[in-house]
Amino acid sequence: MNVGDVPIVGELLEAGAEDRVFDSLLLIGPLLILVIALVGRSRLTTGLAAAYVGFFAAYVLFRGVRT
Amino acid sequence: MNGATETIGRDLGRILEALAGLMFVSILVPLVWGEYYAIPALIVSGVIPFAIGYSFRTRFRKAARPGKLHGMIIAAVGWFCVAIFGSLPFYLIAWTVEFAPPVLGEASRASTPTLAAFTQPLNALFESMSGFTGTGLTMTDNEEVLPRTLQWWRSFIEWIGGVGVIVLTTAILARPGSGSLTLYESEARSERIHPSIVSTVQTIWWIFILFTFVSILLLWVVGMPIWGAINHAMTGLATGGFSITDNSIATYDSVAIDFALLPIMLLGSIAFPVHYLILQGDLRNLYTDLQTRWVFIYMGIGTALLTVLVYVGDTYDSLFTAFRYGSFQFVSAATCAGFQTAADTTNVALGRWPAQAQLTVVFGMVVGGAAGSTVGGIKLIRALTLLKGIRFRIGDVFYPETAVRRLKINGRRLDEREVRQEFEEAAIIAALWFFFLGIGIFVLLLILPQGEYTLENVIFEVASAQGNVGLSAGITGPESLPTVGKIMFLFNMWIGRLEIIPVLVTLRAVFDRGGLYR
Repeated sequence: MNVGDVPIVGELLEAGAEDRVFDSLLLIGPLLILVIALVGRSRLTTGLAAAYVGFFAAYVLFRGVRT
Repeated sequence: MNGATETIGRDLGRILEALAGLMFVSILVPLVWGEYYAIPALIVSGVIPFAIGYSFRTRFRKAARPGKLHGMIIAAVGWFCVAIFGSLPFYLIAWTVEFAPPVLGEASRASTPTLAAFTQPLNALFESMSGFTGTGLTMTDNEEVLPRTLQWWRSFIEWIGGVGVIVLTTAILARPGSGSLTLYESEARSERIHPSIVSTVQTIWWIFILFTFVSILLLWVVGMPIWGAINHAMTGLATGGFSITDNSIATYDSVAIDFALLPIMLLGSIAFPVHYLILQGDLRNLYTDLQTRWVFIYMGIGTALLTVLVYVGDTYDSLFTAFRYGSFQFVSAATCAGFQTAADTTNVALGRWPAQAQLTVVFGMVVGGAAGSTVGGIKLIRALTLLKGIRFRIGDVFYPETAVRRLKINGRRLDEREVRQEFEEAAIIAALWFFFLGIGIFVLLLILPQGEYTLENVIFEVASAQGNVGLSAGITGPESLPTVGKIMFLFNMWIGRLEIIPVLVTLRAVFDRGGLYR
């Protein structure tokens, strides 16, 4: 799904770093927070949240090294 | 009705409509938390600015695009109006609870002295101005007992205010053209990410939203409950500093949370164009961009100095503890976040730190972080321009009059005229900043009870308000700060957020029109 297709704020969300991975992180973020709010703290949710943060940091570094 | 009033009225209308939208969106919170008594207050709070904004916008829809003067007045009046109308949720929810009408069910259970403080319009306005300007000084005694709706509203307005009310309006109600650029610049911003100003502000919001999700999840991973993580990530990234706990971040008393907040606050103190370039893969900006490089150098030096001062001053008994509190409080001050870990219940409160340590924190608050970020203060670029400009002027003596000299700032080689212009702007803002800081200190010394607070406490508190920081030496509170002090802090926070000049331009225009100025 393209972020530009999201109703109302699609245009705003599309205006980012022109990178599918960052776009995906932007879309996954609120869903993950919602899951955490509903499920609470468990190994799975902690792992998912840590993976999200770790992946974001690693991908920023990866893009920096690749460029 | 002249053209200027129409232009200003039309754009104020757009800002008020955007504010109303924020209030309507916030109705989700009382729905989720079952605080149904807050819903009518939020609806009324939203309807009032929407009706005024809609009537202004439609009535003046054919008004001309704003020029520089209009832009400054729109920014100054717009921020003040947003603070006024943004105070309605505080005021109306507090009164709703006081009245506790049976039809709203559980309202009376939410009644607390903390919430009751907002039945005073000045307290509600103070909280709103503090939120929107990203200051973080508060009229609440205990944030924990506030309804979730108001906890959210406080965090939300800081989050919005961090990027800017006008930037929000431009991003949502996109209007291409020079008018948007004028407004963008009037809100203390200048650098663009894209040639189009609408694209620029949309990208700023894109970055800000992504960073918010990352910050929320980071705080949750290190142990903060999810509601706290959502609120503190929003206010930390916006470098606002409102908390939902009684003793700010000290409530958690967690080393992991303290250190997790450092990068979040630092993210908020780096300019958005640099964030964009870093996300594009250009990591060199972390050290090639003058302001970003100095964010790290300045934070490093400040942290080291503060750590030494509180350690040598026997405030903390171990070097690690001194580093923990020293690093957090300096970064919190210099990024203008204003989160507090040095609080009474868990350790030595900031107001009881050695005077030299308090003044080091004040220095951090005065300078602030990078221009184009969410921070307050004079901004690093101005401090560096002043330092380089002074060195340039002193160097003049050593060169013949015919020598052609250029000053290099942030990769730009400025000629004599440009140096004069940049130096003059930085000097004017710095001078005005210290002038109003001095007035604030003088007024506070006059109105506070003799002997209750030290001079460094007073300097600390005024610098905190004007730098939009929010750290407190204990002076600010619904009872402890006299009415005159609250009014003065409203002014300090307002001018601090807009970098003074737009407010002075607006006041001059008002007095000029009213015949009071000449």
